[in-house]
Amino acid sequence: MSGTSGTSASPPGDTIVRSKGTSRTALYTVIAVVVVIVIILGGGYAAGWFKTGSSSTGTGVCTSPASATINGAGSTLVAPLMDAWAATYTASTVNYGSVGSGAGIQDITQKTVDFGASDAPLNPTQRAAIPSPGVVTIPESAGAAVPVYNLPSVSATLKFTGQILASIYLGTMTNWNNSILQAVNPGVTLPNAAILVVHRSDGSGTTFVWTSFLSAENTTWKNTVGFATSVSWPVGSGSKGNSGVTQTVKSTVDAIGYVDINYALTNGVAFGAVQNPAGNYVVANITNIASAIKDANPTLPAGTGDWYNVSVLNAPGAHDYPLATLTYLFVYKDLGTAYGASYGLTKAENVVDFLSWIVTVGQNDSAGLYYIPLSQTVVHADIVTIDSITYNGAAISVCIP
Amino acid sequence: MSDANPFPPSSLRTPKRASKWGDRVFIVLTGVGAALVILSLVAFVVVLYVGAEASVKQFGLAFLTNRVWLPASENPNIPGNIHGVVPFAIGTLLTSAIALLIAIPLSLGAAIFLTQQAPQRLRAPVGQLIELLAAIPSIIYGFWGLIVLVPIMRYDIEPNLKSWLGWTGWFGGTPTGLDVLTASVILAVMVIPTITAISRDTIAAVPVSQKEAALSLGATDWEVTRRAVLPYARAGVLAGIVLGLGRALGETMAVTLVIGNENASPTSLLSHGQTIASLLANQFAESSGPLETSAMIEAGLILLVITLVINVGARLVLSRLQTGRGVGQE
Repeated sequence: MSGTSGTSASPPGDTIVRSKGTSRTALYTVIAVVVVIVIILGGGYAAGWFKTGSSSTGTGVCTSPASATINGAGSTLVAPLMDAWAATYTASTVNYGSVGSGAGIQDITQKTVDFGASDAPLNPTQRAAIPSPGVVTIPESAGAAVPVYNLPSVSATLKFTGQILASIYLGTMTNWNNSILQAVNPGVTLPNAAILVVHRSDGSGTTFVWTSFLSAENTTWKNTVGFATSVSWPVGSGSKGNSGVTQTVKSTVDAIGYVDINYALTNGVAFGAVQNPAGNYVVANITNIASAIKDANPTLPAGTGDWYNVSVLNAPGAHDYPLATLTYLFVYKDLGTAYGASYGLTKAENVVDFLSWIVTVGQNDSAGLYYIPLSQTVVHADIVTIDSITYNGAAISVCIP
Repeated sequence: MSDANPFPPSSLRTPKRASKWGDRVFIVLTGVGAALVILSLVAFVVVLYVGAEASVKQFGLAFLTNRVWLPASENPNIPGNIHGVVPFAIGTLLTSAIALLIAIPLSLGAAIFLTQQAPQRLRAPVGQLIELLAAIPSIIYGFWGLIVLVPIMRYDIEPNLKSWLGWTGWFGGTPTGLDVLTASVILAVMVIPTITAISRDTIAAVPVSQKEAALSLGATDWEVTRRAVLPYARAGVLAGIVLGLGRALGETMAVTLVIGNENASPTSLLSHGQTIASLLANQFAESSGPLETSAMIEAGLILLVITLVINVGARLVLSRLQTGRGVGQE
């Protein structure tokens, strides 16, 4: 402190003043260089040097629209897949904000993005909040919730029924060596240890699937906790995100949690088999989740309809995994009316082209990233929905591959 | 700290100045900087209040007394959309208080050792290491907490605390490691460097004559520290504690990872909990609806108020301490 005061009080006319001329020249040089760089960069930006998207080229028999930038936001679960799509899809630049399903729904409601992504369909309250002209719901990928656990002494894959999972999450089954759990896992030495229940601390589509399944399996759960993206948990500790639950279960012996299969596979966490309606215990994999979505064959509403009750849970096939789920995109059904004149027909064409591409060609990227490709039925329904998107009342023509 | 400025502003104005104009620009620039700081505080409060309005209207004062936090429910038979700040206010104050309880003796001990007892050549390097600790990002503390501290708490510390101190009622429930106590310990680890660094600087600034006087009266090391050094330095030490408390109250990431994130009032130090900051970190982006978002903003406003009240209170105590002693820091 006193050092500063001393310097300020030093008499004028010392070396600092004499060197003023040279330091000024240096200062002007620096300013000039900075100004030149700014001008060059500014001009370059205007000329489009920094655009990452390549120029448009034909992808099919017809020509794709001129390139534009498409902005989306939402689900963290599909973010890796979205990033892969954004990289492979060359006709436009796609920016995806991995902000969470709830925030994605908020963003599309406030029209700050071109599409919102969520792991759960819009609930009645969210649907009511969407302004005119309303959105269409497009299932764009699929996943499944799996029960992950950390029992170092157990090497076999544990089997669970819906009732057992509900009892654990209700807090009525509290010990790993519970006789009911032992009965479905004959020959497995279960530890005499308290079950540490882990759930999501944030709202989540994975929670929606998990609680929907528990609601379907157990009436107490259905009547006291219910299903939603966030619920009031009877027991357990919360962790944020699929990655948080994965990490907590991985580092906590005797813990049980639920995550999307994608996280369980990429992180190498043990996950259990779940009994399906046919009575078989199924360990989730890409094939039996895909077949579950095919066999569940849900009655898909129109794109503009209410998707809240669409379910691919408890598919009837003998080897189908019972905890499958679709993930969704929301796009305004008339892009001109929704965003106003500044939106432009070209941009609308780009959005529709991108949507058509991801539900068809884009599905090939799924399996490599542990996502589940859509069934043909869902793809067909999607194409009908995407075709119905309009621009100021007029149909938008693009290449549907 | 620089209350005793030997060069009052007027003395700086006497030399001839080359240009008044340059000074004016300088005053305007610095003034804008100062105004921006104040404006941003006002803007914070205004924006938080606007965001919280829906929740204020819906819950009124009940927000300050409600002990539940129920997300929106689409099932009419299941109650939803009831929000109260009580569990999180308890979580915030409890974790911060325990953290200080652990951190203050350790930090003071470290500061006294570094200034009074440690060999001269150790003082600088150890002091710098402690300051380095203060610069570690909180997410790193959080990961360390989850991977290293949680198992230690769960298997080694908490079962023992439970058997020795279970009778107090503070250690009920199953030790899981993901609880209020672990969050408090990690907060303590995080605020120790802050309190230590500031206490060390203040204690180091105690005039040698003060200590020599005490020593000449035949005082032991302990007596010198307690009667001559600490009273002289107490204002600075308190300032360090307040800074540490500020960090503990607002700490988010590290707490989120180890506190268990249960939206209920903790029933013991071994139960899961949630602080206001961790509630926001967990649920803000994924709220169940506009009302929950608004309620979270109101909770944020309350955290801001708690922090302001504690800071203002500490400042009052500090100024009384300083005028009471009649001594500056340097």
